[in-house]
Amino acid sequence: MWYLYLPLLSPLLLLAVVVQARRTPGLRPGRLPKLAESAALAGFAVAVVAALFLVLNGPGTSGLIGIWGIGLSVRLDAVSATMLVLVSFIGWIVLRYSATYMDGEARQGAFTGGMAAILAAVLLLVMSGNLVQMLAAWTATSLVLGRLLLFYPERTTAQRAARKKAVVARLSEVALAGAVMLLIAAYGTTDIATILDTATPGWATLAAAALLALAAALASAQFPVHGWLTEVMEAPTPVSALLHAGVINAGGFLLIRMADVMLTAPGVMAVLVMLGGLTALFGGLVMLTQPAVKTSLAWSTIAQMAFMIMQCGLALFPLALLHIVAHSLYKAHAFLSAGEAVRNVAAIRRPGPVAVPSARNVVQAFVIGIAIYGLVGLVIGFDGKSVQAIALGVILIFGVAYLLAQGFADAAPGALTRRMVIYASVTSVSYFVLQLVALHLTAGTLPPVPAPGPLEWALIVLALISFGVVAVAQATFPLWAMHPAAAGIRVHLSNGLYANAIFDRLLDGWSKRTPA
Amino acid sequence: MFAKLETLPAPLLELVSEANGAARAIPPLFPLSASVAVNPFLGQSDEPLAVSAARLARVAGARIMPERAVWAEKFSAGEILESDLAAALRSARFGRLTLAEVVAAVETQAAQPEALPTVADLAAEVSGVDWPGLIEDRIGVWAASHFDEGQALWQPGRTGGAFSAWREFASRDLTPEIHGLTGFGAFVAATNRSHWRAIGRASEALGLSTAASGTAFHRWLMTLGGWAQYARYLLWQAELEGATDNTVTELLAIRMVFDEALMGLYGAQIADRWAKAVAAHEVPVTPTRDMAIDAVWQEASERAAQRRLAETLEGGAAAIRQERPAVQAAFCIDVRSEVFRRALEAQDAGIETIGFAGFFGLASAHRAVGSDVVETRGPVLLRPGVQSQAVEPGEVDLGRRYTARAGRAWGRFKLAAVSSFAFVEATGPVYAGKLVRDALGLGKVAKADPAPQLDPAIGPEARVAMARTVLGAMSLTSGFARVVMVAGHGADVTNNPHESALQCGACGGYAGDVNARLLAGLLNDAGVREGLRAEGVEIPADTVFLAALHHTTTDRVTLFDQDLPSGDWAADIARLRAWLEQAGQLARAERAARLPRAKGGADIARRAQDWAELRPEWGLAGCRAFVAAPRHRTEGTGLAGQAFLHSYDWRRDEGFGVLELILTAPVVVASWISLQYYGSTVAPVLFGGGNKLLHNVVGGIGVLEGNGGAPRPGLPWQSVHDGEGFQHEALRLSVVIEAPRAPMTDVLRRHPGVRALFDNGWLHLIAMDDTGKLAWRYDSDLTWVPFAPEAQEDRAIAAE
Repeated sequence: MWYLYLPLLSPLLLLAVVVQARRTPGLRPGRLPKLAESAALAGFAVAVVAALFLVLNGPGTSGLIGIWGIGLSVRLDAVSATMLVLVSFIGWIVLRYSATYMDGEARQGAFTGGMAAILAAVLLLVMSGNLVQMLAAWTATSLVLGRLLLFYPERTTAQRAARKKAVVARLSEVALAGAVMLLIAAYGTTDIATILDTATPGWATLAAAALLALAAALASAQFPVHGWLTEVMEAPTPVSALLHAGVINAGGFLLIRMADVMLTAPGVMAVLVMLGGLTALFGGLVMLTQPAVKTSLAWSTIAQMAFMIMQCGLALFPLALLHIVAHSLYKAHAFLSAGEAVRNVAAIRRPGPVAVPSARNVVQAFVIGIAIYGLVGLVIGFDGKSVQAIALGVILIFGVAYLLAQGFADAAPGALTRRMVIYASVTSVSYFVLQLVALHLTAGTLPPVPAPGPLEWALIVLALISFGVVAVAQATFPLWAMHPAAAGIRVHLSNGLYANAIFDRLLDGWSKRTPA
Repeated sequence: MFAKLETLPAPLLELVSEANGAARAIPPLFPLSASVAVNPFLGQSDEPLAVSAARLARVAGARIMPERAVWAEKFSAGEILESDLAAALRSARFGRLTLAEVVAAVETQAAQPEALPTVADLAAEVSGVDWPGLIEDRIGVWAASHFDEGQALWQPGRTGGAFSAWREFASRDLTPEIHGLTGFGAFVAATNRSHWRAIGRASEALGLSTAASGTAFHRWLMTLGGWAQYARYLLWQAELEGATDNTVTELLAIRMVFDEALMGLYGAQIADRWAKAVAAHEVPVTPTRDMAIDAVWQEASERAAQRRLAETLEGGAAAIRQERPAVQAAFCIDVRSEVFRRALEAQDAGIETIGFAGFFGLASAHRAVGSDVVETRGPVLLRPGVQSQAVEPGEVDLGRRYTARAGRAWGRFKLAAVSSFAFVEATGPVYAGKLVRDALGLGKVAKADPAPQLDPAIGPEARVAMARTVLGAMSLTSGFARVVMVAGHGADVTNNPHESALQCGACGGYAGDVNARLLAGLLNDAGVREGLRAEGVEIPADTVFLAALHHTTTDRVTLFDQDLPSGDWAADIARLRAWLEQAGQLARAERAARLPRAKGGADIARRAQDWAELRPEWGLAGCRAFVAAPRHRTEGTGLAGQAFLHSYDWRRDEGFGVLELILTAPVVVASWISLQYYGSTVAPVLFGGGNKLLHNVVGGIGVLEGNGGAPRPGLPWQSVHDGEGFQHEALRLSVVIEAPRAPMTDVLRRHPGVRALFDNGWLHLIAMDDTGKLAWRYDSDLTWVPFAPEAQEDRAIAAE
């Protein structure tokens, strides 16, 4: 089974770039940027080939290169293959971008090395066959990230963000280390596949699941420790792109990877649903108020990661994986093309005023949205689908209804209405097809969704109500947003409900450092 | 906003006047959607550089001249001569310096300027809390939303102006209190609703005298960075419309409320030092000895450059053309045209080029296809004189609008609270394709709009008058070629927030195609030609005006031959196209040598498409001279893309109306450009656009550097620096005009604003004589001195 070792080639190539970068850390480091791009592209090719082998030969774990369960081993299955292809693809795009973008920087070589290093660390993380490697790669990722966030070490704002990030990262590492030790103690092995196969409820497993959830939530910038993520535009754009598309997923990946362990702890899962659902709505609402493009994208990431965590909490691991893939691709593009914001904002006003939907239009839109959902469901089929997945579909249809509402506004011309209905239908179909693909690809790798108990039912209803309320509020937005009461809410929301300010205060983040 | 000025008490009225003065000391910051270069020293143009250096040191702690090492290097390399220094010293007004002192000083370090402290600075020192940073952050968070042009879906209320909107925000915002500014919300709620009265109360609480308030207000406004400058832009626009706007002083009031509150908190510890700062503000602004010396060096470096320019021009001077040219090609005076014009002229002896301000005399309020937004396609100094629109059939227009509106609805779907999850899950994978497309630069190029048309309400006589004025200003009233190409210019860049800084400044930060097409359409109109004949301008029937767009990033030229009336010019146009292609190759090769990582001319087109490219072209970096003379004075002389070239023949300028136009419009625009590059080079922290790697577009109007704070004005670091050195040499513009001195003096006398620029050295004026030599230098106060007295003496000695 030699091909199981194949994925190791990608980080190896990137680490060679890191070594080369140490020799030319400075301005215009010769062929280094192109070398890094080529290494990343080769890494992508390796990931694709490994995925092909997976399709042909099925999943497996390579032997351990090391002793006593400590060392390198590769777990190749639908989860890791997806992540490998995704991360190496984004890595190639970002390193290619950086080669041009960073030209003329005094520390371009060091930067290139740092990017290659973090990419290697994330690849090692997602291919981990054993817990020790996972913990080491997890820690390495956040250490390298910390250095990249301080690419301009003299910037006070960068220091402030990096300090907060460091505190959160250390906590999450400690949590993960605790989980790893508990699991090793309980199952007597570091091999992830073995642990997943034999995971059974017990106090050690429960505690490990809780710690895993904590590590994941901390790494995914969930409320109330999200603040650092909204402040790391202090590093060059490619760092943001890689962070938001490749690194921030680590938390979600951890939950998906350890899905069988998580499933033994329904209470922990319930907490994840609540935390994720709360942060998703919170992040989404705050994003509405953000006037700077990268900041708005950062809030969007907080919300999207939260939504993914909620999916994990609902045991919809395949959908969470789909969400990671979709979000990464979108967010990488959004950051790298953030310079288009001036054009985009200017384009908004050209075709004239926005048609504002009335309350009646909004109701119409929701009814038709749910009808589309029912129709698509009838064609593709609801049977075999879990209650959780159907509920999630309803939440997403709330979103589609917002699209429809804009087309149904009385002031909107018929041509616009037709287009909106087409967009809404295509979106719905695309969503369900992608969902089927995700379920199909991960069948056998990820555990099936258990039937909901009373706690799950309560959470599902709670989620439906709260997302529904926000969706209606969003669609009827122009009708109430100018009310003075709303103005007050806007002030507090635009400040992220002060969680970040309090965190700053606790860390003394605004203390004036006398320049050395 | 609320209180009428006449109801204010007299002492407050004095403060109002000082505050309005401080507002005018701030340069405007145009929104990036249509930004133009702005002279960052606009508010200082009636004082010389040394005084501005002292002022900006006091209010911003910034140095506004190059480091001395730059001059020392040029001095030892023999680029700056002692004679340049001696000449500069003779015109210096400060410091009673000797040549030896000035020369010796360049080896030493000038004292680093330090701004007078604000209350927040002093409070930070005693409390250890970064109050200036917190205030910048708080005002930034509010202002970014307040001035947002459409980035956020949830816009704040804006009724009642900036101060009122801020009170609504700040009385609720808990952040300052979390960081220890106890009771700030209530403090804000208790401020007067009139920002003038708030300024009055804060001034009283802070013990600010009227004498101190001028630079103290200026100091506070400088801490607001780009927000104050954007507010100054609102004032600029309001004044063009004949209205007024208080946003700058409202921001001042906001800033002062913070310091007033901090004084309440820390007064006991900082009152003494604050009183000292107030006393220091009362002292008139005077340059230090270092500043006076620096100003001499700056002047000397500019004289040295002029000396070299004189030598370069002396070598040139082509013969005056006699026969009818095959093609006349009019370009914008933009320095980037110089390279291309030279390359084009090299193709054939029958090609004549003309330089003229790139809006071609038609400042238009224009509407693009499928758009309700009126774009000012003309210099920002002027109100647009005409209206125009890109016209297409109603159905096509509607279809375009529906597409745009559907795209907009999709954009809202993408960003809204719940729908963003549906968007990501349903369409995220599509972005894999977009990533590959953009990474490989495979994006599509937008198609040109249909021909723009002047407002039909503009009558035939008005059109003839417009055409007559423009041709006169171009010194083109006879000797028309068969094809007269009118080329505007525009930059093709992608993913670049500062795109408009690379467009045509004379066209308001847009590409110049609309204006060129409007002019060509006007001059091809049979009725207009009829009218021109009556005015004595005979355009031959076989002459056609052909609009074009010079793409400055790629040095390609698009010809709008689809706009032409039917006729037999196909062969001429085909030949012209071939020449333009050849000229483009030459120009690309010349520019590639200056661009990092450009392997040659062929590489340049790819770079324009590259979404990661921060230096697709150098824009106007390097600009240092402006020459208004007939083209044969400069033809064949390589000016390295550093000169604005305006075609001007004073012998055909009856009454010197065109001279007046040149000095008051294109020269002023060129000075704004030159001084923007100057400011972004010498004071990148204060007047530069910051690091492009960290740019974060805010509100669709500006860029933040990193997380927050204020938008950065001016040019980004990467636009003036290639990583190893500056691509722009910090020299103030030298204006060379071939014209007699008396009419120039007359024009300056009539336009005090323009005169101030020359009198205070923000611009140099040099008269070219009938032999094409630089003969006279304008020496302030409407007097002239010989351009190179030493050289003339030398010649006189040699002749003996």
